[in-house]
Parts: sequence; C-alpha cells; structure tokens
Amino acid sequence: MKKHKLIQIGMGVLLCFSLISPKMLSAEDVKLSFDHFYDYEELTQTLKAFEKNYPQFVKVQSLGKTHQGREIWSVILNNPKTGPAEHKSGYYIDGNIHGNEIQGTEVAIYAIWYLLKNYGETDLATRLLDERAFYIIPTMNPDSRDHYINRVADPNSPRTGLIPMDDDQDGVADEDGPDDLDGDGSITMMRKKDPNGYMIPHPEDSRILIPVRPGQKGEYTMLGQEGIDNDGDGFINEDPMGGYDMNRNYGYNWQPNYVQMGSGYFPFCWPETKATRDFLLAHPNIFGAQHFHNFGGMILVGPGANNFGEYPRADMSIYDYVGKKGEKILPGYRYIKVYKDLYTVYGGSIDWTYNVLGIYTYSNELDMDAFDDLAAMLGTQDEEEQDEDLARLLSYQQMLNEMAYYDLVLMGEQYTDWKPYDHPLYGEVEIGGVKKFGRRVPPLFRLVETSHRNAAFCLYHADQLPRLTFDEVKVKKLEKDLYQIDVAIENSRVTPTISFVAQQKKLHRGDRFQIEGNVKLLAAGRLTDKYRNITQKVETQENFLWIQRGIPSFGRVVYRLLVQGKGEMNLIYDSLKGGYYTTTANLE
Amino acid sequence: MKRFLFGFLFLFLSSALMLSALPQELSFDTYHNPNTVNSLLKSLNTKYPQLTKIINIGKSEGNIDLIVLRIAAQGQVDPDSRTAAFVSANLEGTHLVGTEAALMLAQKLITKYEKDDKIAQLLKNRTVYVAPLLNPDAAKSYFSDVRFERQTNDKPTDDDADGMVDEDGLDDLNNDGQITQMRVKDPEGTWLPHPNKKRLMKTADANKGEMGIYKIYSEGLDNDGDGEYNEDPVGGIALNRNFPHDFEYGIKPAGFWPVSAKESIALLEFLVKRDNIALVLNFSSENTVLNLQQTGRAQAAGDKFKVPERFANFLGLDPEQEFTMQELIDLLNSMNIGGGIEIDESIVAMILGLGPAMNIDQQDMPMIQAIQKEYKDALKEAKLEDLEKRAKGVGKGSFVAYCYFQYGVPVFSTDLWKVPEPKKEPAKDALTVDKLKTMSSEDFLALDDEVVAAFLKDQGAPDNVKPDMIKKMVESGKVDPAKMAEMVQKMPKQAKTEEGEHPEGYILDWADSVLEGAGFVDWTPYKHPTLGDVEIGGFVPFLKTTPPSSMMKETLEFHTDFYIGLMGRLPTMKIKETEVKPLGNSLYEVTLYLTNSGWFATSSAQGRRSRTAWPIRVELKTAVGQTIFSGRKLVTIPFINGSGDTKKAEWTIQGKKGSKITITAKSPRLGSVTTTVLLE
Repeated sequence: MKKHKLIQIGMGVLLCFSLISPKMLSAEDVKLSFDHFYDYEELTQTLKAFEKNYPQFVKVQSLGKTHQGREIWSVILNNPKTGPAEHKSGYYIDGNIHGNEIQGTEVAIYAIWYLLKNYGETDLATRLLDERAFYIIPTMNPDSRDHYINRVADPNSPRTGLIPMDDDQDGVADEDGPDDLDGDGSITMMRKKDPNGYMIPHPEDSRILIPVRPGQKGEYTMLGQEGIDNDGDGFINEDPMGGYDMNRNYGYNWQPNYVQMGSGYFPFCWPETKATRDFLLAHPNIFGAQHFHNFGGMILVGPGANNFGEYPRADMSIYDYVGKKGEKILPGYRYIKVYKDLYTVYGGSIDWTYNVLGIYTYSNELDMDAFDDLAAMLGTQDEEEQDEDLARLLSYQQMLNEMAYYDLVLMGEQYTDWKPYDHPLYGEVEIGGVKKFGRRVPPLFRLVETSHRNAAFCLYHADQLPRLTFDEVKVKKLEKDLYQIDVAIENSRVTPTISFVAQQKKLHRGDRFQIEGNVKLLAAGRLTDKYRNITQKVETQENFLWIQRGIPSFGRVVYRLLVQGKGEMNLIYDSLKGGYYTTTANLE
Repeated sequence: MKRFLFGFLFLFLSSALMLSALPQELSFDTYHNPNTVNSLLKSLNTKYPQLTKIINIGKSEGNIDLIVLRIAAQGQVDPDSRTAAFVSANLEGTHLVGTEAALMLAQKLITKYEKDDKIAQLLKNRTVYVAPLLNPDAAKSYFSDVRFERQTNDKPTDDDADGMVDEDGLDDLNNDGQITQMRVKDPEGTWLPHPNKKRLMKTADANKGEMGIYKIYSEGLDNDGDGEYNEDPVGGIALNRNFPHDFEYGIKPAGFWPVSAKESIALLEFLVKRDNIALVLNFSSENTVLNLQQTGRAQAAGDKFKVPERFANFLGLDPEQEFTMQELIDLLNSMNIGGGIEIDESIVAMILGLGPAMNIDQQDMPMIQAIQKEYKDALKEAKLEDLEKRAKGVGKGSFVAYCYFQYGVPVFSTDLWKVPEPKKEPAKDALTVDKLKTMSSEDFLALDDEVVAAFLKDQGAPDNVKPDMIKKMVESGKVDPAKMAEMVQKMPKQAKTEEGEHPEGYILDWADSVLEGAGFVDWTPYKHPTLGDVEIGGFVPFLKTTPPSSMMKETLEFHTDFYIGLMGRLPTMKIKETEVKPLGNSLYEVTLYLTNSGWFATSSAQGRRSRTAWPIRVELKTAVGQTIFSGRKLVTIPFINGSGDTKKAEWTIQGKKGSKITITAKSPRLGSVTTTVLLE
C-alpha cells in the first residue's frame, strides 16, 4: 500500500480542489478562509459570527481565562427543537493543547462550519445536528497559539502553556529562551565551521549537514537553537518560556515530573486543563471525543502506557470499527495505539476521558511531511536485514528531496538559508534552517484537505454514537388490568449505550427504563430466548428499572414488563450517554 | 503627671483585660470540633500576633476553613523563605487525636518561646507551619447528633451509580446517638458469634464445620428502596487516599483521580507554592517511623533492565541483553543522542518506562533508621511501646507517601495511640531481647526449642522461621545472639492473634474493663421495616482511634516533644571557610567550603530523584577587571550530608590584588549565604 501512497495523496489533493475550489468558504455571513491560520482575535470573531448567524444552534461560552488572560472558548451546537442537548449523545472536539500544534483549531472550526452550512441540505448534517450535541474547544492553549502564529517560534514550540517556570532552578523563570538573532521571525539553528566537528556538508547540497564516517574529518559543529546566554550563567537557551506539557496533566495514570516529564504539580493544576475538565464533567452526555495534535498521520487510541494493561476487548472492538474506517477517510493515516506504536504517555487526555468518563476517544496526529518518504516508497523500511550503506544513501536522498520541497514547492518561503552571524559566545557562526511553518503544520494549499478529511472522521464517529429505536412494542392482556408488554429496543450504531469500561468501573449511572401513566410495574425481565420463552429477571423499582449494561453495539434487546393498569402509557429509555427516547403503548 | 499616670494605668488595664478575654491554655483531655479548632487557632493568633500568622488555604467541601498556623519569630529572613517544617494532622477525619497533638505542638512552641532557648532559636531561624485539621468534614461526624465514623469529605457522590447522590446513608434506628451494626438471621448468612466472645462476630469457617447464621449490615434503612442498605451514604472522597503516589484508580472513596478533592487541591497548592518546606511531620493512623512498609511493588526493583524492543532497535542494542542503570547511562551519553542534554537516571528510567519509585531510596535508609531507633528507645522509656506491635505503614494514595516520593522531603507520621493490649508477663525463664543481647552462643544453643519458639512467636517472626533454623545459624557462626537481638529490634513487630481468640477480643476486654462497658453496645432486638427482626449492637464508633481523655496527655506530650526535636535537626547551610591562595601573576585560587551543620542532609535522595530538591547553586560575582581563569561562574553542589559534612567549590581568578569577590550559595529549602573574599 505504501508504494501507492504518493499517487493516492496526489489524487486526494486533486479531488479536494475540485470539490472546494475557492479558498473562501462561506456559510451565510460566516466566511472561513484557509489561506492562513486563525489567531486568537480572528478566532474569537469567527466564533462570535457563528453564534450571531446561527443563534438557534450555536452557543459560544468562555470556560475561563488563560494565564495571559485570553478566553478559552467553547462552542456548543444543538438543535433545541429536537430536544435539550443533555438528551442527546454528545461529541467533543478539542484542538491545539500543544501551542505549536495549531491546525486542530482549523479542523474544529471547519467541522462547525460544515454542519451549520449543510443543515437541511444533506442528510448527514441534518441528522447530526438534530440527533447529536457537539461540544467543541477549538483551541485549548490560546496563549501559545497566538505566540506561535504572531511571534517568534519554531516548528516544535511553544508546546507548553505560558505560565513561567524556572526550568534551570536558578530562582528566575523563563529568563533564557532562544532568540531570533537573524530576525527572520523564526527560531532556526546555529552551526559553526569547525575542523574538529563531526558533521560535513552533503556533497550535493551544502545546506544539509551529514555526520562524518569513521576516519573522516569533520567541517562543522551544530550549536543547537538560535540564541544567546541571556542570563549570563554560561548556558544557552536553558530556560525558555513555560516548560510543561498540558497533555500529561490529566487525571488518569498521572505520574510526577520525574517519571513523566512536564506533567505538572498534580492533575489539572493548569487553568486550561482545569477548564476543559470542568466542561467535560458538566456535560456527561458526551460519548465520543477527539483531541487534535500534530503530526505524523495517526489516529491514536490509548492506553498511553501499559502499566494498567490494555483497554477491555469489548471496547477495543468498538474503537477498531471506527478507527479502521478512519484509515479510509484519512489516506496514509495509521490507526495505532499510543504506548505500543508511538511512545509512553502518562496522564494524557485520551486516557482520562476514556477511563474516567467512559468516552470513546481518539487523538489524531494531523498531517505528514509533505515531501516523499523515499525509503517507504522503495519498501525497504520494514525489512529486517537492511543494508547499512543503502540506508544511509537513502536517507541522504531523502534530505535532498526535503530540500527540493522547500525550494520548489514552498518556493523558499519556509527555509532560511545559512547566513553568517557574529555570536557573543561562539564567535563566527551560521544561522539558518526550517522556519516555523515549514514542518508539522500543513502547507496552506493542503489545509483545506486536512480540515475536511479530519472533520469527516469526527462526523463519522459522531454518527456512530448510539441511535436507538423502539423496534417493537407488543402488548398482551393476561387478565383484567394485567398486561405483559414486550419492548424491543434496537441500536443501529456500533457504539453501545454504555462503554464497557463504564460498566466495569461503575463510572456513571446505567440506563434507566421507565414507564408512566395509570400503571404499576410489577416485574420485569430480559427476554433471552424467545422460542423457549425464557426471561432473565431484572430488579424493578417504582415504575422503572436499571439497565446496567445498556443496549449493545448493533444490538436488539427485548424487555418483558408485567404491568397493572390501563389506558395509554409512556415508555422512556433514558441513557446518560446514549440519548433519551420515548414511545407509547396502549393497555387494552 | 496625673494624667500621664492615668493613661498608663488605662493602657495597662486594657491590655490585661484583653489577655484575660482569651482562652486559657488547653488542657488536652477533650476533643475539639472543627469550628472550635479554627477559633482556637485564630485566638492564638490574636494573642501572639508577633509569633503567628493565619494562612487560610481554602475551604472544605462542607465549607469549613482549612487553616494553617504559621509560627515564626521575627528574624532577619522572611518566615516564608526560611527552612521550614510542616505539621499536618487528621487528613483521615477519624484521627481526632492527631488534631489535638498538632494543637499541643503549636501551643508548646508559642508558649515556650520566651522560656526555652532551644525553641526560641528554632522560631528565630526556622518556620513551622501547623495544619491541625485537614479533613474537617469527616471530623465533624464525631461531634454530630448521631456519631459515626467516616473518612470522606462532604462532596456529594453517587456511590452506587444510580444517578442520585448520598440518598441512602446510615440511620440511628435505636436512637442511641451513634451508628453501630445490625445483625439479622438469614438463610444466606455467613456470620456467627465467636465461640469465646459471644458478643463478637466472626465469619463461618466451612473447613471447621461452622455454619453462618447472620448477615451483618451497618445500622440503617434502605432509604432509596433499591434493596441495598446504606450503599450511598453522605460523603465523597477519603482525603488520605486522594494523593498522587500509588493512587488507586477505580476505588470510589479514593476519588476518580488523584488530587480531586477541594481539600487535597488546597493542601498541594499551599505546599508547591512554598519551596522552603524541608520536613513534613504528620499525625495519622499511619506510623511510618515504626513501619517502613511501602504500598506497592517496585517496577524498578531489579538492578538490571532490558531495553524495550523499539528503543533497542533504534539504538542498535540487543533487546534481550540486560544492562545496569549505570551502563545504560554511560552508553546513551557516549552515543550523544541527548543532543547536548546530559542523560541521567531519570531520563533512562523514562525511556525504559520504569515508572515511579516504589521503595524508600537506599541512600535515605540510614537517616530513617537512625530516627526509628531513637523513637523506639524513647517509646520504651516512656512505656508507650504498645504502639509498635500494630503500627500501620503508609496507605495507597496517602499524603505521607506523596510527601516522601513526590514533594521530596523527609516525612514522618505517627499514630499516637492504639487500644492497649494486655501485657503478658513473660515467664521467668522466657527469652527476651535484653537477655539475648548479653547471651553467649553456647547459652543460646543450650536453650529449649520451646523457649526459642515462644520468643519467635512473641516477636512476630514469620511462621516458617523455626528454632532449629536459628540454632543452625548460630552454630555455624553466621549470627551471634547479640547480632540477632539487633536484627529482631529492627524487625517490624507484628501482632498475632492466639489460636481460638477473636482478633478484636482484647479491644472488647479493654472496653469492658477500662471504659466500663461504654465501648460496646450489646445486641438488642429491633423491628426493622424491611429486614424484620434484627439486633443492633457492636463496637461504638471512634473506639479504636480515639483515646479516652485519661490516656491522651501522655502520648501527646511525648510525640510533640519528639517532633519539636526533629525540627531542631533541619539542615543548616553555612560557609565554613574560604581560602585564597596566590598563584603569582595576579592569579588566585579561591576555595569555598560549604557545610551543613544541621542533622538532616540538605535534601533526601528521593527528593533529588524527584527533582523537587534543588541543588545548591554557588554563584561567583566578579568585579570589574577580574576574570575567571578556571571554574564556572555558577557551580552546583547536589547536596551536603548532615552533621558537618562539607563540600567545596574552587575557582582560579585573575584579578587585582586587594580586589574583592562575592560568593553566594543558595537553594530554596536552605535559604542563602553570602561571603566576600579578598584577593591577596
């Protein structure tokens, strides 16, 4: 499959452009354009415009303020005409928890825009806005987002939030970060000519350095990121802004800093993680979730670490069903497990939402390098006995391809050529390299595709949350005022009404099946064998019963009620996360 | 003149009046409810404004203030920047005696400041933070109209996952003002009265042909009509299970995640803001001085590790090969994969996914064992050694474990009181530890096996340790009796129940004799609305954790003195001396000797591992015309052991003769010291 990746991507881009040709997308008066990234100001205006133009569907609320005083915006989409939001399965999206991983925000606003624009136009959008509620935090880290977009940054930072931390334990916080010495708006790299160095220029492109081979003499030394010793302690760039990782700060399998770098003092100790936690807790109907990151083209599922074992098999089959569809929606993306296929993450958001709230959660690593992965194309990557020389040659070729991409596709915009600089400590050095938008975020000509396909994956997942129908309600009169009622409830979606982990750990209440009217519930059971007429007894309480296991994936369950009374009666199936459904039956 | 005198008199009188309006010193023969504890702290502050400050760290879920009393005398350094001890009590809510101990400790420090020079020195140079009641919601259940034991705060919680909170709690059916138990005859019953103590219940042992008769419930109704009794009582999170070291996920009273209760959040916010706290002294049911047992098995216990396959492949290592930690550190550093970052133990532990430390660091053990020995000896002298036998180690998610493993400071917790067990007078010829100390190997080998067996049992040795085993060891010369006595003393004592006795039989005996029956409610018939004929009875709440007033004072005096003694041993960083050696040509070798005159090391090993114990930073400030010829401007000294251990920092400076250089050493938990040296 990998051999065809290039062709696939190419076709994908073509297809995408033919569908959405102008860069400007507008839903009535809300215009989105994907020729740039949305900074805090523009994002705020856009969300307000959604609310203003679609007051019937959209509620924009601040969940609190960041350290620097920006609002953490949330958007709730619901059609109140079809019921209150808490009566519907909720779908949650957040993006940009890592300040430099910005494009999740664009995907989130694209998803909002798509649903609003297509309501009443397409079946899917109409169904989703009628039957689901959406809870979206476009950016969890507006401070760092704004810094990344509008100020000096590099592809990998600021990942942190911006509360100053004393990384080098000298009593002063954030006093020695990198500096944009050459004034190109990005933090790039420093290198120095050095006859004793361990790097030499690539024979075909001197901008690239490659390691010396044994016996060879070097020409360069790499000196790390652009910067000076701002605090005069003899170290360079040792205490940059912030210094923590909010996606290690969640309350499941949280580990202290010495085990999991950046985890914070204790779970939810930052204003941003606290605010999103409270938002999720305030909406217990949320049942599907997506946390957007970049990059690498992955649909990630937990667990983040294997010390508590794997997720229960019953839930994994639900995850697999949606995740594998995701690989089709997102060509080139791999559906993989964090701890096994990526690295160990303690205290990540996906583990908390799943293990503590019982929400089926994915985390997409948005986008891949836009230059070709030559080794993969040749199909040598997975081979065990890889020839060392060949591998090296391939990686050199890879570097050339990368440069060709920066030169010919991005046309120089995201690469700073090495230029001499007189450094106060190192003397004559050269500064240059990839600029902040050169990696990890998509080039703007692919931003629409990233947004559309990932929004499509979210909407598919949202559509796969439970959808129940009272398939059949059969009333049988046993004697005067005594009735036997068989109620068949069907779930036409892959997601059961309660996740297995929630059942196992009693994370939240079960489903409640209630009757109303001039009736009294005497006994109830679940019909397990309709041919032999075998039911399993279910304990009843005052006109209701608890269904602790919910309605399973693509399942159909028949409950047999023994009821005394007469006239019309209401049947209510009330699932915390699976929706609220009613029907009536006539006792006669 | 008259007027002046009058004014003087007025001033004198009004200040005397003000003093008399304040409460007398506490007598420590009673327990104080949460609101009284808080007003006591406030009145201490009113009476001693120079020595105390009220720090309100937040509110409990039940809206009671969480107060920390800061005790420090005026001195050169701001109290919040001095090396400090934090005294915490009653996070469990049932440990009311801990609250009283913390109050006594505060009162002692304050009232002895004028009289006791040691305490004066302590309060002038150190700061003591005292938090006597960290779980007021649970504690108030002791003082409520219906007394019942709970360790949870007031957070409304859906314990039984039915969508309702706190809807089926305990009920005082027999109106005796307390919650005991109900027993009801039931065909499925698994309990029966204990043959030797009919009032106590035991589970039926089918292997002995016993058949259950009763079911046991806590006293109450099925308030929500779901067929269960008292399954969703008032209260949410048991605070001393809510801290983030070895937290138990999936156990409701522990909370859904660590540090999820208002009180635990308030406490940790208070602590992480104060990086001057270098010692935590706690009162709880845990006695971590006597019982060093930790909560879990260490993942990092092995001394050799395999590198996970994906990293091994990446690094070109054999995934089957085992490495020591040091080998891996050296290997990774030599590969230069850190890109300039020094690879240390914690980074390797992270790569290997070793997880958190689960055992006390070996480097910290001598410090802990030294204090353990002193404590045991002192207990014995004070005739309080009863505490030893049933000492409880730290619990999962406990505050004490957090303090050691994550906050990274030495921590000690004591339990203050246990229901006393009747002392069995040892038989005349019985072996004791004291006898063992002076016994020769020959005399030991001459002892009857039965005598040795009785000794082993008395000391709580595991069942598989047999007299002949011990004798063989002595015979072979592997141990001598004196060495054995030493080992036995270090061994944690374990209480054992005699065959045929009820494990709580001694508690009943004690309640009958000392409390004259007030500790046990005899089983009395009651007509229960849904269970029918039941009997209500059992031990009264708080019996096992709360000493009667006659037994309080002695242990409180002992333990507060012991804790104040530990505070006197906090690390003290000092400049021992500086040396300047002229090397000629205006070159000088400057050496600074930094010492720790306290008893504790400047940081614990676990504190260094958890990176919360900062190294000491020694900074050299040069004047104009001086240059550093060798050495760094900034030198870090990871730590200095206690009792006068000394570390040095050296530089070679080029500078004018007679010019000065300033050197400062600092670390948050140690404060800072500065000196100026003359180049000559």
